[in-house]
Amino acid sequence: MLINLKAIYKYKNMVFYFTRSEIRNRYKGSILGVLWALLNPLFLLILYSFVFSFVMKVQITHYLLFLFAGLVPWLCFKSSILSSSGSIVGNGGLIKKIYFPREILIITSILGNFVNMFIGLLLIVPLLFIYKMGININYLFLPLIILIQFLFSLSIGLVISALTVFVRDLRQILDIIMMGLFYTTPIVYRSEMIPEKIKLLFRVNPIAIIIKSYQDIIYHGVVPDILSLTLLGIVSIILLFIAFKIFNRLNRWFAEHI
Amino acid sequence: MKSIVINNLSKKFTLSNRPKSLKDWLLLHDNKIKREYWALNNINVSINPGESIGVIGTNGSGKSTLLKIISKILYPTSGEIEINGTISSLLELGAGFKPDYTGRENVYLNGSILGLSKKEIDDKFESILEFSEIGDFIDQPVRTYSSGMYMRLAYSVAVSSIPDILLIDEILSVGDSKFKKKCINKIMELKQQGTTILLVSHSDSMVNKICDRLIWLDKGNLVMDGSSNEVMPCYKEKLNS
Repeated sequence: MLINLKAIYKYKNMVFYFTRSEIRNRYKGSILGVLWALLNPLFLLILYSFVFSFVMKVQITHYLLFLFAGLVPWLCFKSSILSSSGSIVGNGGLIKKIYFPREILIITSILGNFVNMFIGLLLIVPLLFIYKMGININYLFLPLIILIQFLFSLSIGLVISALTVFVRDLRQILDIIMMGLFYTTPIVYRSEMIPEKIKLLFRVNPIAIIIKSYQDIIYHGVVPDILSLTLLGIVSIILLFIAFKIFNRLNRWFAEHI
Repeated sequence: MKSIVINNLSKKFTLSNRPKSLKDWLLLHDNKIKREYWALNNINVSINPGESIGVIGTNGSGKSTLLKIISKILYPTSGEIEINGTISSLLELGAGFKPDYTGRENVYLNGSILGLSKKEIDDKFESILEFSEIGDFIDQPVRTYSSGMYMRLAYSVAVSSIPDILLIDEILSVGDSKFKKKCINKIMELKQQGTTILLVSHSDSMVNKICDRLIWLDKGNLVMDGSSNEVMPCYKEKLNS
């Protein structure tokens, strides 16, 4: 892992330029441009709150804010994993022709999604305005949570990107897994609504810990579960270590198999 | 210290309908048809700093595979390779170019893929621009470039830093004769400054001009390794027989 980090540090300029072009490519040619990073989650928020709050009458006050706190980070996680799945396969041209640390492709594709999330998080301004709320001291935990989310996404993304080279179906499988994960993570409903019998099932979901932390800070205005977060942080670093090991092993075959 | 040391290096390619989808993994695991192909067989070469070496051989002899292994794009199946120093490779020029980006943006993007910092590219930018003879077109998207301009810009970025080892693979076939001459001069200049050069080329005149030592590969085997005067006549004789 140390060798990987050193190589990434040496190529930090590439990380910068590739992340920038990642963002640029996403909105290139569209009239509203980067505004889509706001509009996309906004439409989803309106749609979900119509379905769950208006039609199905989920009993959560300030539902839009609750939804926002969970949905924006979730969308970031989902697209981080899905886009890293294609980041090695989709860059075959480069990988077959030039040497550079391959892990940079995954880092930049995930970073692009995080920048997207930062823009989406700006929606909090009108939401707090609507509900006449202010920000609280617990927002100071956000950078830590985002960092843990990044490390976790990166470790999963590294393995996924490498495996997709050998099993192309992974992309389709991931689509299904992500759909399942969305509904088994307390995003559109509160974790308190989960029946006691299956609660344990939800407790081991690492995404739920991250989403819950965002909800604690933004919606409940309380200190997030520090113990769970610390554990997840440690697990993420261990996972990252393993992920780099797997990635380095499979990296040898990338140029031949794409 | 040697520049490049290659020990018992072999490279096997597996030519098969590689299992790429889950269905293939599950259904075809037993009866998948494999054909193995050894692109390189037990190669032993050691190269001193500052040597300029031509790699010659007919198509499919493993020349490009060797260069790709040295530049860490492919990995050897067995054997070892040790490299001391920075590598710059002119294997595929302009591979990292984005057609919609301007020449200037592509210089920075491409420089970053080569591991250069922004400041390093800033410092080199003027000389890159001058060498490429792109002029005002530098701020136009590269999709509007002619193929000659495209190659000139890519080449200029690639040779902008002074590497310890320079790998060149058949890339000087593009561009007009004036630019070609300039490129050869640039390579000679790097050679004078002590850069180790490995050149794959089918052009005898190029090889004769640049290389002092030749490595002759045939079907993945090392046939001959020696000074140009020694190897070239034998190679020629074999070709004509």
